Formats: sequence, structure tokens, C-alpha cells
Amino acid sequence: MEIFLLQVGNGLIIGSVYALVALGLNIIWSITDIPDFAQGSYYVIAAYAAYFVVTLVGAPFLVALLVGMCVGAVMSFSCERFLYRRWRERTFRGAARVQLLCAIALFFLFANVANALWTSKAKIFPAYMKGSLLGFSYMRINVLLAAIILFVLVYLFIMKTKMGKAIRAASMDLGMAQVLGINIDTVNSIVFIIGGALSGAAAVLISPLYSVFPTMGDLPLLKALVVVILGGFGSVAGILICGVGLGVLEALGAIYVSSAYQHGYSFIILLLTLLLRPKGLFGRV
Amino acid sequence: MLSVNRIALAIILIFLLLIPHIASSYIVYVVILALLFSMLTASYDLLTGYAGPLSFCHAAFYGFGAYTSALLTLKTGLSFWLALPISGITVFLFGALVGYPALKLRGHYFAVTTFFFGHFIYLVFLNARDLTRGPLGLGGIKPPDSIFGIDFSGMTANYYLILIFGILMVGFLYALVNSGFGRLIVSIRENEDLAEAVGVNTAFVKVMAFSISAGLAGITGSLFAHFFRLLHPSTFSWMTSEMIVVMALVGGIGTLVGPIIGAGVVTFILEMMRFAPELRFIIWAILLVAILVIEPRGLAGIYARIRGGR
Repeated sequence: MEIFLLQVGNGLIIGSVYALVALGLNIIWSITDIPDFAQGSYYVIAAYAAYFVVTLVGAPFLVALLVGMCVGAVMSFSCERFLYRRWRERTFRGAARVQLLCAIALFFLFANVANALWTSKAKIFPAYMKGSLLGFSYMRINVLLAAIILFVLVYLFIMKTKMGKAIRAASMDLGMAQVLGINIDTVNSIVFIIGGALSGAAAVLISPLYSVFPTMGDLPLLKALVVVILGGFGSVAGILICGVGLGVLEALGAIYVSSAYQHGYSFIILLLTLLLRPKGLFGRV
Repeated sequence: MLSVNRIALAIILIFLLLIPHIASSYIVYVVILALLFSMLTASYDLLTGYAGPLSFCHAAFYGFGAYTSALLTLKTGLSFWLALPISGITVFLFGALVGYPALKLRGHYFAVTTFFFGHFIYLVFLNARDLTRGPLGLGGIKPPDSIFGIDFSGMTANYYLILIFGILMVGFLYALVNSGFGRLIVSIRENEDLAEAVGVNTAFVKVMAFSISAGLAGITGSLFAHFFRLLHPSTFSWMTSEMIVVMALVGGIGTLVGPIIGAGVVTFILEMMRFAPELRFIIWAILLVAILVIEPRGLAGIYARIRGGR
């Protein structure tokens, strides 16, 4: 029983990381129709940035978190502004594929830049807080708390502000939103900034629990893509539930079924969901 | 213009036939890799270039064929010449089994699902230790048995074997896409709903395109297994799948020739950058982004532009 609760807790924590990356991906995907693989590499670079801020400058963790978020946001913003935007109008056949290919190329690029600059050896992120509650260290609990706070902030931004309303309109009907005078350039920039910041935040939050290495972004990216599809481009809450649910299922599967296939469960869940509910669990039909 | 293309094709073929006699064994090895990747991208083009759906799991079928063929010859002592068609058919059937549910999905949904499928198969290669020996790698695979007195333990004989299979495969694909069935495949890419409305059994055609493309990748895998004689799961990871996608798109999909040229060009670029293993993929990724910015339709687009300008 104790191990069950422990795994549920671990699943909640890793699941909230999936959910954070997935939230950014979801907003980007629903507006621009790009599965932005490159987010997985902003995740890596943000973690390294935070690591160096903490170890070289000795900054407190909260500053490192903000630095990581800014790094992710700036990278995400620049790649959209200077690359994806070129093909946004999709004036030729295969433009959607070009954007996807560009996203994959950027993912390759930054992951390998990290590998070349800082080697593949894992770096240990120093602990920033001691103590634990009910067997979970405060650092673990913080991941969950921070994820919830970020989700609430994004939710409020999307539902309560004027820019949020513009984003929702653009995700429903891009052409109509433009006709009504919504500046699509600004909307695109904003969603990519949010996406990058969320990827960065997820990476920095989880780094002290594991470590920082060039391929650390691969699995969260894969899982986040699953979560987006499971959630079916639905609500912010749907992403949170799917992300956390996937994390818990994986953690339980790892101890009760087989840990070797831990990263394969998401595929089975995805396939089953898509066969039974092709629009995702929380999708708008 | 057609005659120019034919002359170019003849020159390339003669060049390919001569390579083992004029180049070092290292060059021959690289050309073999390029040929294998050309076969993968050409078969990949049938699905993604002609039928439309963007797939990210071609390396899984490649690996499935490689392991099937290797295990058949290792465990049952079957001859390579039987193992090759059997692995092709097995992967073809497996492709149909996977393709039937997966192809109900459209657009990016299909793309991401195949992405995961590829990763799942990789995990199976990695963890089914009794069969594949997992991360230790499956060694001791025999070269193709000698036939007509030709011994296949050397590089040159293997080179010609793979070249002949490559030519046969490309010829088959060329005939297929120019046949009536090929036009059905293209009709799905152009407008799936319309194709269905005028009576094309789109589900069947799509699954066939998917399975044929998978089966050909399986045959390529079998050739790879008996040439390389050592299989490791990482050879068939999602990186390889993405490499195939990138090669095909760099060449220009839906042209059959484009992906083959793309495979050749990319293989050589990556080999030329062996001197800087760390920078290899960085330079490569920058090149890729540059190609996309300059000509998003790939090398085939650049070629079309040059010809249009002339």
C-alpha cells in the first residue's frame, strides 16, 4: 500500500511536468497547427540555463526558475518569428510539412548544441530545499504546486483577458478572427512565448529531482504530445487531468506490470483512446 | 527533356556499377548505406509522397524486417534467400495490422501516432532480450548464402546484391505509381473525401499503400541485417525514422526520384562530417533549416526552379 501511494505521488509529479509542456504545445498546436517538437529542446536549454545560474552565480531557485522560463520564451518566440512565420500563409502544397520538418530540425539542433557545449554527462542540479512531508520532499511537492499555479495563471489569462479572448477566437476560426481585426502576428508571438515559458518552467522544476542532460527533453516531449492528443485540444483542465493521469498510470504500470515498457504505455493508451474516441477525451466535437 | 533524364539515369547507373572497381572499400561501404537509405526513402515515398499521410515509423518496419530475417536464419537455419521474402511478407502483414486502425486517423493525429508506434517497437527490440538480445546487440548473423557460385562474404558481392535489389525495388515502385492503382493512391492525396465520393475504397487503398511501403522497408531491413551482420535496437530508433522523413522531404516527396537523391545527398553529407562527431548533427540541422528557408520543396524544387528559369 505504501509503495502504491508513493508511486501515485511520483506519477502526479512527473505527470504535472508532462501537463505543463503539453499545455504550451496544445495552445501552439490549436492556433498554428504546428506540433512544435522544438519545445523539447527549449526544455533542455532552459534547464541548463537554470543550472548555470544556480551553480555559477549562486542565485536562489526562484530566480533560476524565472531565468529558465525567460530562456524558453525567448527561444520559442524567436523561432516562430524568424522561421515558422515564413510558411504561415501556407501558399504551397506541403507548407504544413515544412513547418513540422523545421520544428524537428530545431529539436535536433538545440539538443545537439547542448550535447556539444556541455557533453552528455549528466549534471547534478543542487537541492534548494530540505525536509519532507508524508515521505515526499518539499522539492517534489513544489513541482505539483508550481504546476497548479501556472495552470491557474494560464487559465485566467485565456479566459479573462482581452488577449486571451483573441487567442480563443483564433483557435476556433483563424480566418474569421483576422476579419474581425485580431492581429494574428501578435497572437502567434504570445502563444509561442507562453509555450516556451511553460516548457522552461517544467524543465527547471523537475531538474533538482533528476539531473540535467542533453536528452532530458525527449521523453517529456513524447508524453506531452500524447497528452495533447488525449486531451483532444480541449480545455486547460482537460490537459491537466490527462497529463497527471498519464503520469500516474505510467508510474503504477512500472511497478505492477513491467518497468521495461514504462514508456510504451502511453502509446497503448493513445491508440485505444483514438480508436474509441477519435476526438480525444475532452475534445470539442 | 526526357532524353536528358534518360542519359543522366544511364550515367548514374554505369557509375554505380563501376564504383567497387574504382573506389576504396570505405566509399563502397558509404554507397551501400546510401543505397539502403534510398530504398527506405523510396518505399516511404509511396505512403507519404503519393498517398499523403505523414508517417514517422518507417525505421520500425526496417528493424522488424531486419530482426525477422536475422532470427529466421539464426534460429531455424533458413536460407537467406527464403528469409528475405518471408520477412518482407511478415512486415507487409504486420503493416496491414497496424495500418488498419491507425489510418482511420487523419493529419497530425496519424503522424504522432506512428511516431509513438515507432518508439514502442524500438522498446520491444530493446526489451525482448530472449529474442533480440536487447542492448547487447544481435551478432553472428551469416552473410547471404552463396548462389550461382557467388560468395557473399565480401563487400563487392554484397554491394551488387543490394544495388540489384535497389533497382528492382525502384522499378517496382515506379511501375506501381504509374499504374491504375497508383492513380487511386494519388487520388487520396489530392482529395480524400472526393475520392471516396466517386467510389474509391480509400481505406483499402491507404492500408495497401501503408503495408507495401512497410513490406519494402522489411526487405531492406533483411538486406541490411545480412550485410552488416550485427543488429542493435538503436539503429531502428525514432532518430532513424526521422532521418528517413528528413531525407525524403529534403529530396522532395511525391517524385520517387527526389527521396532517392535526398537519401544519397544526406548520407554523404553526414559521412563527410565524421571528422567532427559533435558538430555533425548541428551542421546538419542548420543545413536543413537553410534548405527549408531557401526552397521549402526540397532539392526537387530547386531543380524545378533551375529548369523553369532556363
